[in-house]
Amino acid sequence: MSVGVLLRHHVRLHRVPLLPLALGLALFEWMMTFVAGEPSVSRFLTEALQAAPPEFLALLNQDLLLGVSARGIVGVGYAHPFALLMMAVWAVRVPCAALAGEIGRGTMDLVAARPVTRGSQVAAALLALLGGLVILAGAAWVGTLIGLAMRPLEGVSATRYLPVAVALWLIFACFGAAGILVSALAREAGAAIAWLSGLLAGSYVLDYAARVWPRIASLRPLSLFSYYEPQQVVNAGLGPYDVVVPVAVGAAALLLAFVVFARRDL
Amino acid sequence: MDAPPIHVRGLGKRYGSVIALKDLSLDVSAGEVFGFLGPNGAGKTTTIRLLLGLISPDSGEGTVLGHPVGARGVAWRREIGFLPGDMAFWPRLSGAETLDFLAGLSGRLPVARPRLLERLGLTASELSRHVHTYSDGMKQKLGLVQALQCAPRLALLDEPTKGLDPLVQQAFYEIVTDLRSAGATVFLSSHVLPEVERVCDRVAMLRAGAVVSVGDVETLRRAERRRVVADFSADVDTASLAHFGALIVALPRHVELLVAQAAVPALIVRLGMLPLSDVVVERPTLEEAFLEHYR
Repeated sequence: MSVGVLLRHHVRLHRVPLLPLALGLALFEWMMTFVAGEPSVSRFLTEALQAAPPEFLALLNQDLLLGVSARGIVGVGYAHPFALLMMAVWAVRVPCAALAGEIGRGTMDLVAARPVTRGSQVAAALLALLGGLVILAGAAWVGTLIGLAMRPLEGVSATRYLPVAVALWLIFACFGAAGILVSALAREAGAAIAWLSGLLAGSYVLDYAARVWPRIASLRPLSLFSYYEPQQVVNAGLGPYDVVVPVAVGAAALLLAFVVFARRDL
Repeated sequence: MDAPPIHVRGLGKRYGSVIALKDLSLDVSAGEVFGFLGPNGAGKTTTIRLLLGLISPDSGEGTVLGHPVGARGVAWRREIGFLPGDMAFWPRLSGAETLDFLAGLSGRLPVARPRLLERLGLTASELSRHVHTYSDGMKQKLGLVQALQCAPRLALLDEPTKGLDPLVQQAFYEIVTDLRSAGATVFLSSHVLPEVERVCDRVAMLRAGAVVSVGDVETLRRAERRRVVADFSADVDTASLAHFGALIVALPRHVELLVAQAAVPALIVRLGMLPLSDVVVERPTLEEAFLEHYR
């Protein structure tokens, strides 16, 4: 019962930013379908991408051939830093506010002195995190769906992007789970935010650097972002590693979070 | 026989090299109002947090409402009301939302809420405002309501009158009296000695993490030295009275001493042999008893 009460509490605290984040993502993916359907834009992108250095293409997380197709351009919307940032805001905000934030604000004592297990606090934070990410990834896909319904593109189907939205959800659910672990260890939201943002940024930079710098290419699997390849998902669906690694890392982080938070002094 | 609501033996807690609490042993009976006195850093808040299981003890053991201290089980906390020493709320929630949320977590109906709101003077319009617009006093009142709204069997109140005006303090004392009449146990920490003297059945004094004295208010007072003030009509050798107790002021025609209760009759006899013009023997207030412990 307390998980439900705590979940409603998280929803009340975070519902205001969820709406603009979801709208922003939906609008962005909708816009990408329009960009993909404009011949002049495709032509411009073709020329620009042909002239672009591989380092820039790596930043967009796609190869040249896919990039200039309509399907590829729509897929770019799921790897674009804007979309990643929208998802990251939620994946950082909710876990850090839930445990470390309550401790830092001084409100944890009010909650923890009641008949609420530590595990239910972690579970409520997890449900709020995952539910919000479902709404955000869903909003991104709905943006694609509406865009393609308004302006159909030859050979491009919205259903192809559903697994991409799932992959987007998975990768940020994994980061969010790591965020819950960081939050379970910290005493202030600020510290938790700093650590988790560092993890996200570090993972992103490592993935990018490993793509463009062959000497460190072998380190790429260490970055969680290496298990998020929207263009490959569009073409071939979710690969086993794209599912197994985020799920395993997220589950391990959560298990640790449950153990650590149950044993720590508040 | 039921276990006392609070029963602890040898409870201790360290933070690194700092000893926050050492060897605390206490029993608080059902229906008792128990005062926990001590200066800042004495370990009052640590004790309450240990009793609630918010932190784990490094040593010792005990029970709260029959459950082991530090137990992470939850059912027993349904019957506890807790007011933290540093009152903090969710600034974007209204007072009413805050009370509903916390009552929901307690899993009990907030049967005492309307009466508490009325007595503490929190109105419906105030409750509809976001908590970040509240004054410190209003936050404290909201804190008291959230702690007591579900009619707890055991109330743990950390500095409950902090920031309250005298009228609301009075209302709080009446609430504590009613809780005791209803059979609830109240464990309150405080710096405000007259308040403890007024509402508590028993008091523990804490110093540097250790209990220095436990007893009922009257016994504590009795155990303390009396203050004897004497005036003389002619100069006397007041220093010669030093063997009766501690000289505070020794002037030729005026003397003030702290004297053990048992030594008072002999001192009075001695003073009667001197050119005495006036003598006053004062019972110590709890504050003086308290200060004597911490000097």
